[in-house]
Amino acid sequence: MPRGAKILMLILLGVLAAGAIYLRVLTRRMAVQPPEPGEEVARTRLSEAALQAAAGPSQTATLYFPSYEQGALVAEKRTVTWAESDTDRIRQVLLAQIEGSHQGASRALPSTASIRAVFLAADGTVYLDFSSQTLSDIKPGIASECLAVYAIVDSLATNIPAVKRVKILVEGREVDTLDGHADLSDFFVPDLSPISPPS
Amino acid sequence: MPSSRTALRPRRPLLLLAPAILVGLLILFWPAQALRSDNFIVYMPSTRSVIPLEVIDQVKYLPLVPVLNAVGKVGAIQERRDTFKVWFGEVQIELRLGDRRVRVGASRLILAQPVRKPGGQWLVPVEFLTRALPELTHDTIEYQVGMNRIFVGDVKPISLSVRLDPTTNGARLTVQFSEKVAIRTAASNGKWYLFLGNRPVQPLEPSYHFQDPYVSGLQFDDQDGIPKLIVTPAAAGLNFYPTLAEGGRILLADVLKPPPPPPAQAPGGESLPAPAAGPSPAPGVTPVAPESPGGATGPALPVIVLDAAHGAEEIGARGRDGILEKDLVAHLVARVRLSLLATRKYRVLLTRVGDANPPFQQREVAANMVRPAAFLSFHAGNLGITTPRVVVYSYRPSSEAGAEEAAKGPQLFVPWAEVYRSHLERSRALAEALQQKFALIPGVTADKPAVAPVRALRSIDAPSVAIEVGSLTTDEDSGALTNANFQQQISNAIAAGIEAFRGGTS
Repeated sequence: MPRGAKILMLILLGVLAAGAIYLRVLTRRMAVQPPEPGEEVARTRLSEAALQAAAGPSQTATLYFPSYEQGALVAEKRTVTWAESDTDRIRQVLLAQIEGSHQGASRALPSTASIRAVFLAADGTVYLDFSSQTLSDIKPGIASECLAVYAIVDSLATNIPAVKRVKILVEGREVDTLDGHADLSDFFVPDLSPISPPS
Repeated sequence: MPSSRTALRPRRPLLLLAPAILVGLLILFWPAQALRSDNFIVYMPSTRSVIPLEVIDQVKYLPLVPVLNAVGKVGAIQERRDTFKVWFGEVQIELRLGDRRVRVGASRLILAQPVRKPGGQWLVPVEFLTRALPELTHDTIEYQVGMNRIFVGDVKPISLSVRLDPTTNGARLTVQFSEKVAIRTAASNGKWYLFLGNRPVQPLEPSYHFQDPYVSGLQFDDQDGIPKLIVTPAAAGLNFYPTLAEGGRILLADVLKPPPPPPAQAPGGESLPAPAAGPSPAPGVTPVAPESPGGATGPALPVIVLDAAHGAEEIGARGRDGILEKDLVAHLVARVRLSLLATRKYRVLLTRVGDANPPFQQREVAANMVRPAAFLSFHAGNLGITTPRVVVYSYRPSSEAGAEEAAKGPQLFVPWAEVYRSHLERSRALAEALQQKFALIPGVTADKPAVAPVRALRSIDAPSVAIEVGSLTTDEDSGALTNANFQQQISNAIAAGIEAFRGGTS
């Protein structure tokens, strides 16, 4: 074999080897891409409650949604077939909040909301554990964060008498704020006029 | 033959030159690599560890084993070419080279950057500390993004704020500490060093730059594990006179032209030993003051604290046109500051300077230490479709859980989470006064004062309000809010509102 052909063969072998190594790196990169947390996560968790709902009574529920223009909450009636347990009913209310208003009011929870856990304590305290993705999709601001939190709290307390107060956790931990505004360090008790000054 | 020898001769120097250039380049760059001194400090309640930091593709990396040794004890290690397993107590940590997934015990973390192994050492991005250490140590972690230090467990770092005031023949540097510090001074290479003792320190800003003929900068440094401030004079031959006041909570340092005038020792002042290669001690103490209008002296003016929300990676709300809340409120605060200083009735303290995001606790410490006449926190967010719009909030708790404790009367420790209670009425009066002035601005919708659990106001020991301008959302352009005329009118209204709140007196 001529000397030039040998050199060419060596170069080609080198290129092939480099390509194989690069392919391996690319494959590994593709393998480590995290799954995108999506709406389905929340839907899957919450629809479990919805599936169990047929066992309970069918009633008119009052849900609250934020109205940023009015700086207040607006009530919306909806027929709900309740689940048996209070914890499942809490999930149903959250599912309705994720579904959004039927009358054009703003959202309290984004459609991508993911509820990691719900726990109702004996003293009436509900612990809601949201994913960090849920909170990052809530529109920031003092009014918007406070109205979003109270829309959830008031919707739960109005429809489920066992709920006395709500504690919001993120990824299983206490947090200072939603996005730098609403103070989440304490419990939230229901208030239908959350940001109105006391008369 | 002689002709072929002649043809080969010129190649020899070339063959020698190539290795010589290579060796020269190695000599040139080798020390630069070896002398890199970036370190990361891990502060524990009783110890601190200095860990060398590697920056790869602009990402900060730390060697895993030294980090684990800094916070506990590493057990067995199992290393293969592409995988690394290490036991920390009962927990097994598993890394894979070039992989962003890290297994910590039963959980799997996905880091933003992959694990690296340059020079045979397994490196993890700094993010690993905040994600994995709480699980490994079961302790709280305090880490400010971008900083080269982390506090693990029950470590309460001292915070500090800095300001520089002109004096008749020099400048006065005032450093306020959140707790008493012991300071040792030294001078080296034309700079003054202030060693801050053994306590961990977390400054609001890593460095300060001044447009001043006497002091050009102040830098915090703890790269060797010893917290210190480095003062850089703007010219040679200046004298430096440090003094401690208020029992070690305040450092007053005069930078003066030589020869120094004979200063008077103020009561309560505590002289510090002068830097070895610096001037002789000649302490002079005056009451510490935040930024005064035009450096005016005389009776102490009331302090107004302006708090621009968010900063750094915490951007807050975002407009459709890309305007960020952190930038919008920083601009607004700059205008309000000038409007307040122009009245010559107030001093102004800012809780953040530049694009930093001090945690709430640091902002509260900075504000409460100056006992302000008013605290104003600035925000922008979603206020519906009407714009421009302004709402003033005073604090209202989300529950009355702390009311019983507060009702018990004086307590051993200050209940900072409940401190707002003693200022509720005054805060609402301040909100009312500001809203009345905002309502006078043509074209601006000023809502009635509102109440809300605004985190920024909870632990402020003064009348405090949050001012939210809107709407800043991804559905709207923010042109109305960035308008200079709008911002100036808001600033003037705030100055007038504070004047009205204080009853027309300073």
